[in-house]
Amino acid sequence: MNDRSRDIGEFVPQPDDDMIVCRCEEITKGEIRRAVHDGMFTLTEIRRYLRTGMGLCQGQTCTKLVKAIVSRELGVRPNELEPATGRAPMRPIEMKILAKDKEDA
Amino acid sequence: MKRYDMIIVGAGPAGLSAAIEAAKRGMKVVVYDENAKPGGQLFKQIHKFFGSKEHKAKIRGFHIGEELLAEANSLGVEVVLNAIVIGLFPEKEVTVKIDDHVEHVKGDTVLIATGASENMVTFPGWTLPGVIGAGAAQTMMNLHGTLPGKRVLMLGSGNVGLVVSFQLMQAGCEVVALADAAPRVGGYGVHAAKVARCGVPFYLSHTIVKADGDEYVTGVTIGEVDKNWQVIPGTEKHFDVDTICLAVGLSPMSKLADMAGCAMEDNPAKAGFVPTVDKYGETSISGIYAAGDVSGIEEASSAMIEGRIAGIAAAAKLGFISEEECEAEVAKQETALDGLRQGMFAPGMRGKMITETEEGVEISQNLLKKGFVADEEIERFPGVTHNTGVHPVIECTQNIPCNPCQDACPKHCIKIGSNITALPAIDPEQKCTGCGMCVASCSGQAIFLVNEDCGDGTAEITLPYEFLPLPEKGAKGTALSRSGEAVCEAEVVNVRSAKAFDHTHLLTMKVPKEYAMKARFFKEAAKS
Repeated sequence: MNDRSRDIGEFVPQPDDDMIVCRCEEITKGEIRRAVHDGMFTLTEIRRYLRTGMGLCQGQTCTKLVKAIVSRELGVRPNELEPATGRAPMRPIEMKILAKDKEDA
Repeated sequence: MKRYDMIIVGAGPAGLSAAIEAAKRGMKVVVYDENAKPGGQLFKQIHKFFGSKEHKAKIRGFHIGEELLAEANSLGVEVVLNAIVIGLFPEKEVTVKIDDHVEHVKGDTVLIATGASENMVTFPGWTLPGVIGAGAAQTMMNLHGTLPGKRVLMLGSGNVGLVVSFQLMQAGCEVVALADAAPRVGGYGVHAAKVARCGVPFYLSHTIVKADGDEYVTGVTIGEVDKNWQVIPGTEKHFDVDTICLAVGLSPMSKLADMAGCAMEDNPAKAGFVPTVDKYGETSISGIYAAGDVSGIEEASSAMIEGRIAGIAAAAKLGFISEEECEAEVAKQETALDGLRQGMFAPGMRGKMITETEEGVEISQNLLKKGFVADEEIERFPGVTHNTGVHPVIECTQNIPCNPCQDACPKHCIKIGSNITALPAIDPEQKCTGCGMCVASCSGQAIFLVNEDCGDGTAEITLPYEFLPLPEKGAKGTALSRSGEAVCEAEVVNVRSAKAFDHTHLLTMKVPKEYAMKARFFKEAAKS
């Protein structure tokens, strides 16, 4: 899966490349497809490279969509892709609240 | 650090059911939910549920939520709302945002019952205001009393798409069409039929080509897809709508299990990335459980049972009950769960093409393609019989786990038997009194009382009616067929409402007798 020497072919533009996929961070389908050709083969890499799924909804809307686009580009099944890591905080949270950690509330 | 015997994340059907079982056995339980109201999706469900009496069949979803909440409260379960769990760490330490701070809480057991989120599909214009999830539509209508729009196109013919389409009409929206890229209706036929007879056209093998509008949705174009899901040029159809509702499946919200380090699998049969669990709902980490949609998409009834199992198992884990007691109680719940996972829509049947019922009756293809059973197909089902005088006609044509109609009939006219998925059959020896209990008890609104020949050239049809304003006795209008087409003039001769009917009104209309087996809905003439 992560074999970067694998030939996935040239980037071929598609008519709906300018369609927004990640609404929160306004990332388009074309940007995601290009990122794969730039060598981002995992969802974690795509996320760090483009910030897909890093916005307000935390990928609730676009995770599955991004996965489908990346897997199609790589020619693999979506469930073969390793999911991006889940980590705290699970939900967007204000920094001032995150910092107000009550050990013994 | 605060400590609980069980920390439950999510106050939906699974979470509350687990809390009840755990608290019943003496455990100190807290349930956190990020929403302002508990109950998860249950409080949006205004329709009657399927199943058997033990599965709370024919009770409306929000009433089930109220019952669960009352029971949890009476057992001393602490339900904390607006409490957002932001992390689950080793040693079962939970961080939760409450008000303006983050609390650390430790659980000897933890249940993840976070449910699912709605899937989206992309098409040009999908980010326009007016494109919403079906769940969002339900939240607006049923929790906040706000109409999502006036004219709606629904994408998705699964139970969510069908149920929400009906609710949109109940709320006063016009549903202009129901489209699905799949070639067959995905949800229960009875749900489809009640939408179709209101006049909603079904477009199977159709997907959205684009949404129109600059600032918000003003229209939608759908088109027929070929075997490779590509739109066939020339098949496009346009509708003026202000809302596009998407009901294209759910994905488990399992990130919390993932971050806790539970073994996960990406399993299409469970509709996504889920923690692997054993028969007690326990994940690969001892003492961390998962129940409900988060461990595989099903529906509320099975979520409740999975929750109960996890609650019982957690009690055994901490020594509140013996292993033997746990096994016995879990076995009971498993039997109930097996009962729910039967029939044509069971989890194991996904994607399979079914051509006949368990009884060997050929399935209505028209139902699968257009949402209603054709006139020439309906006669072959065991619930559809002819008799003199008033008698029930049960247009239940698929094997689903549901049997309230059998218990509803005081005369025992309706037979399902011990196999809960069997199609209801009529016992012609028993005399129907026309009480209508069966009509109101059918969660699928598939039972009609018909007097095929009143002796004066007319027939009377009693149908379940859940719209407002309620037509009055003497109201004139049009009788609609199963497909929602106007077939003849009709007059309302009776409207019955009773507490036992639970807001399903029984409307009796008089039609020319040749329409006794065709007319299935009433549309009141516009008042001048």
